Amino acid sequence: MTGGGQVPSLARAQRRARVRGLLLLGPALVTLGALTLYPTIWVCWLSLQRRMPIFGVNRFEGLGNYVFLATDPRFWKATEVTLLFTVTSVALELAGGVLAAVALRGLHAGSRIALSLLLLAWALPSVVTAKLFEWLYHPTAGLINFALGGIALNWLGDPRLALPGLILADVWRTLPFVAVLCYARLLAIPADIYEAAQLDGAGAVATFTRITLPLLGRILMIALLFRTLDALRSFDLMFVLTGGGPAGTTETLTVYAYRSLFQAVQLGLGSAVGVVVFALVMLVAWAYLRALRRQGLAA
Amino acid sequence: MGVLLVALLVVILPGCGRSRESDGPVVLVLKHAKILGPVDPIPRLLAEFEAEHPGVRVKAEVLPWSSDEQRQFLVINLEGGRPGFDVMMLDCIWVPEFAKAGWLLDLTPGVSRDELSAHFPSAVEAGTYRDRIWALPWFMNVGLLYYRADLLARHGFSPPATYAEMLEQIRVIRAAEGNARLAGYLWQGKQYEGLVVNVLEGLWADGTSLLDAEGHLFPDPGRAEQVLRFLRMLIDTGVSPAWVTAADEESTRRPFGNGDAIFLRSWPYAADLFERRESPVRGKVGLAPLPRHVAEWPAPGSTGGAHLAVTRQTRHPVEAMELAHFLTGPRAQRAMTASGATKPTRMALYRDPELVRNSPSLPRIHDLTLAGRSRPVTPYYVIISTTLQPELSAALVKVKSPARSVADARRRVEFFLRDLRE
Amino acid sequence: MRVREGAVLALFLVYAWPFFWQLLTSLKPEAELMVLPPLLPSRLTGEHYRAVLDQSVMLRALGNSFGVGAITTVLALVLGLFGAYGIARYPVPGKGLLLLLIVAGTAFPQIATVSPLYLLMRALDLRDTWLALILANTSFALPLVIWLLTGFLQEIPAQLEEAAAVDGAGRLRAFRWIVLPLLAPGLASAALLTFLFSWNEFLFAYTFTATEASRTVPVALALFPGVFEVPWGDIAAASMLASVPPLVLVIGLQRYLVRGLLSGALRE
Repeated sequence: MTGGGQVPSLARAQRRARVRGLLLLGPALVTLGALTLYPTIWVCWLSLQRRMPIFGVNRFEGLGNYVFLATDPRFWKATEVTLLFTVTSVALELAGGVLAAVALRGLHAGSRIALSLLLLAWALPSVVTAKLFEWLYHPTAGLINFALGGIALNWLGDPRLALPGLILADVWRTLPFVAVLCYARLLAIPADIYEAAQLDGAGAVATFTRITLPLLGRILMIALLFRTLDALRSFDLMFVLTGGGPAGTTETLTVYAYRSLFQAVQLGLGSAVGVVVFALVMLVAWAYLRALRRQGLAA
Repeated sequence: MGVLLVALLVVILPGCGRSRESDGPVVLVLKHAKILGPVDPIPRLLAEFEAEHPGVRVKAEVLPWSSDEQRQFLVINLEGGRPGFDVMMLDCIWVPEFAKAGWLLDLTPGVSRDELSAHFPSAVEAGTYRDRIWALPWFMNVGLLYYRADLLARHGFSPPATYAEMLEQIRVIRAAEGNARLAGYLWQGKQYEGLVVNVLEGLWADGTSLLDAEGHLFPDPGRAEQVLRFLRMLIDTGVSPAWVTAADEESTRRPFGNGDAIFLRSWPYAADLFERRESPVRGKVGLAPLPRHVAEWPAPGSTGGAHLAVTRQTRHPVEAMELAHFLTGPRAQRAMTASGATKPTRMALYRDPELVRNSPSLPRIHDLTLAGRSRPVTPYYVIISTTLQPELSAALVKVKSPARSVADARRRVEFFLRDLRE
Repeated sequence: MRVREGAVLALFLVYAWPFFWQLLTSLKPEAELMVLPPLLPSRLTGEHYRAVLDQSVMLRALGNSFGVGAITTVLALVLGLFGAYGIARYPVPGKGLLLLLIVAGTAFPQIATVSPLYLLMRALDLRDTWLALILANTSFALPLVIWLLTGFLQEIPAQLEEAAAVDGAGRLRAFRWIVLPLLAPGLASAALLTFLFSWNEFLFAYTFTATEASRTVPVALALFPGVFEVPWGDIAAASMLASVPPLVLVIGLQRYLVRGLLSGALRE
C-alpha cells in the first residue's frame, strides 16, 4: 500500500515540476521565438523572394537569388575578404593576446591599469573605434603616418592598404578579450610550476612553449571559437571605417548584404547573402564543436 | 518589485510609440537641407509666407547634410505612412522614384503650362513622371569647366573646345610654370553619385548614353569602357593627381581656389566662392562648357538641383501646395539666389540686373544650363547609380579592368531590374 | 626580464596612446588640428565639446542610448532570470537541447535577422521608436543572459534551497533570501554586459532609427554632420562623450565585467 500509493503522487509531483519549469521558461522562449527564431525562418523565406518594398515588388522567385550569387563576382570577392579578414584578424588576436597576457602576468604593480586600458579598448562602441582609427589613419594629420616619419600613406583610400588597416583596427579592439581570458587562466597556474621549470634550467622560450601554451590550450580553443564567429559576423567596424571601400576591398559579406538590402533595396538578394553568412557561422561552430568533442575537451 | 516593474513598463511603453498630433492653426512642416551660402534665406521667406497666409504657420526642419542620409530619412518616414512633414526638398534624381512609390501629391492640377515654361526645360522634365508633375523646380545645377583665365591668356590659349586641346594646354602651361604643385585637371572620382555624374558626362561626350530607350545599362559597352580608360589615363599620365579617386566637390574646389590647378570640373556654386575678396584666384577664373571628345559631338554638362514636393498624406494639401508654389516662385528664388549659393531654375532671373551685379557669371551659367542635359529620369536611377558606383570606382583605382567593371555593372543592374521596365 | 618590460611598455603605448590622442584632439583648437607636428596644442579649448553639446542631437542620443540600454537590461534580466531558473532547477523536457539552441542563439549573425526585423518593425509601425531597439537588442541579449545565469545558478547547489524548504520556507522565499544574494554578482555581470552591448549596438540602431527621436549614440556618431570638411575635433569630442559609460563600467566594475566574460567563455 505504501509503495503503490507513493508512485502516482511522485509522478504527479514530477509533472507539476515540469509544468512549473516550462512556465518559468515560457516568456523567455516566446520572446526568443518571436525575435530570433521567427526572423531566422523568415529570412530564409525572404531569400527565395524578389522583394523591393519601395516599388511594392513582392514575388516568389525560388532559388533565383542564390543562382545569381553563385556567379556574382562581388559576392565571391566579399567571401574572400571575409575569410581573409577572419583568419588574419583571429590569428593576430590570439598571438597578441597570449603575449600580452604573459607580459602582464609578471607585473605586480600597474596590472590593474593595464587591464583597465585593455578592457576599455574592448568595451568601446565599434563606431568610436572606427572614428578613432579613421583619424589616426588620416594621410596628412594622422598620427600613424607621422610616427612613420611623415610618409603620406593613404591608408583608407589605397586599395592595397585598406584591408590591412581595417584588420589592424580590429585586432586592437579584440585582442584584449583574448588577453583577459589568458591572463585569468595564467593567474590560476600555481607559481611553483614556473619555479620548478626555472630550477630545471628552462629558458623563457622553453617555459613558454612547454608549460604556458599547453596550459592555455583549452582557453585558447574557446577564444578561437568565439573570435572566429565574431569576426565572421563583423559589420560595424568596416561599415563605418571604410564603408566597404575603396572599390570593395574591405567589403565583407555582411557589408555586401547590408548594401543590397538597404541601398539597392533588394530585400530578397540581401536576405540570401544574410542566409549565407548564417550558414557559414553555423557551419564553423558545428565543425569546431565536433572537433572539440573528438578531442574530449567538451563537456 | 514585480508590480513596480510592470507599472514602469506600462508607463514607458506607450511613450515608445508615436506621439499624437495636436490641433490648432494649420501648421506645415518643411524639410529641407541646409542652403549653402553666407545667409540662410529660408526663415525670412517663411515669415513672408506666413504674413501672406494668416492662420498658417510653417516649421522648417533641416535634413542631414549628406545626400544619402537625406534620402534614407525621407524613405524611412514616407514608407512608414505617417511622415510628419508636408513639404520636402528632393534631389531631382529622387522625384520619379518617390512618385512611383506613391509618396508624392500630384501637383499637375495646380500648375499651368505658362508657369512651367518659366523654368529650365530639363528641370521641369526632372520633376515629371508619367506626364504628371510631382515636384516643382527649386534650384538648379549644371556641370561646367572652370579654368584659370590668367594662365591660359599668358600662353594665348582660349578655353579648350576638346580634350585634346585641354591636354595640350595643360602640358604647355605646366612646363612653362615649373610649379610642381600645379595640377592639370581636377574632377570628382570618389565612390559616390558625383563619380556617376563625371562618367555620365564622359559617356555623353563620347556619343553614347547611360541607358538605352528600354532602360538597359550601357547600350554601347565598348564606348563605356573607352570612357573609363580615358579617365584612368588622366591619372596615369599625371594630368589629374591620384587623389581624385577619393575626391568630391569640396576637396577639388579648395585646391583650385588656392591656385593649385588649371582646370576644374564642378558646379556653379563655386563661381561666387572663387570671387570672394580673400580668394587667391579672384578675377582669374573663367567658366566654359565641358570639353568635347570630338569637335562635332556636343558634350553637355549634367544638370541637377533640387525640387520641392508635397507628401501625399499631408493633412493640408491646399496650403502645402501654396507653400511649394511660393518657395519656387520668382520672388523666393530671387531672394535665395541673392543670399545663398544656389542658382535659380527660373531662366529670367539670370538676366536680373541686381543679381547679375552681385554674381556676374550668371548669364554664362544660364547658357551652360540651357545646353545641359538631365540624368536619366527613371524611378530606378538611384538603384542604378548605387550599383554603378563601386564598379566605376573599381575601374578607376585599377582593382578591375574597365571591361570587367562594365560587364559586372550590366549584369547586376539587369538582375535587379529584370522585367521591371517602365 | 628586459623583454617583458619592453613588451609591457609597448602594450601601454599601443592601448593608452590612441585614447589620449583622441582626447587631445577633442581639446585642440580648430586651427591646429590638421597640422602635424606639433603634437601638442598650444592651448586647450572646450569649443568642440560646446559645439557638440549645443546641437541637441548628441544630448538626445545619449538619452536614447541610456533609456534603451536600461530597459533592455531590465527586460533581458527579468525574462532571463525566470528562464534560467526554470532550466537550472526544474526538469524541463529536452532541457539539454533547449539550452544548446539558446546558446546557439548568441551566435546568430545580426545581418541575417535585420531584414525580417525591419519588415516586422515596419508592419508594427515601430520604426524610429525606442521599442524597436529594445526588442531588437533583446533578441541577442536574452540568449546571453540565460546562458550566463544558468551557469551561475548551476554553481549554486540546489541543496541550499531544499534545506530551506525543509525548514519551512517556500520556494519563493528560499529564492529571495538564499539564492538571490549568492546570484547577485552573476546578475551584476549579466546586467553590465547587456547594458554594454546595448550601448554599443550599431546595426539595428542604424537601420531602425531615422531621427533624433530614437537615434542612439553610435548612430549619431556615425552620421556626424560636417558641412564642408570632416569636423575631426567635434567628432573626437563626441567620441569621448560616447565612451563615458564604457569607461565607467570598465573602471568601476572591472571585476564583474571580467567575471561575466570569463564565465561565458569557460562554459560551452
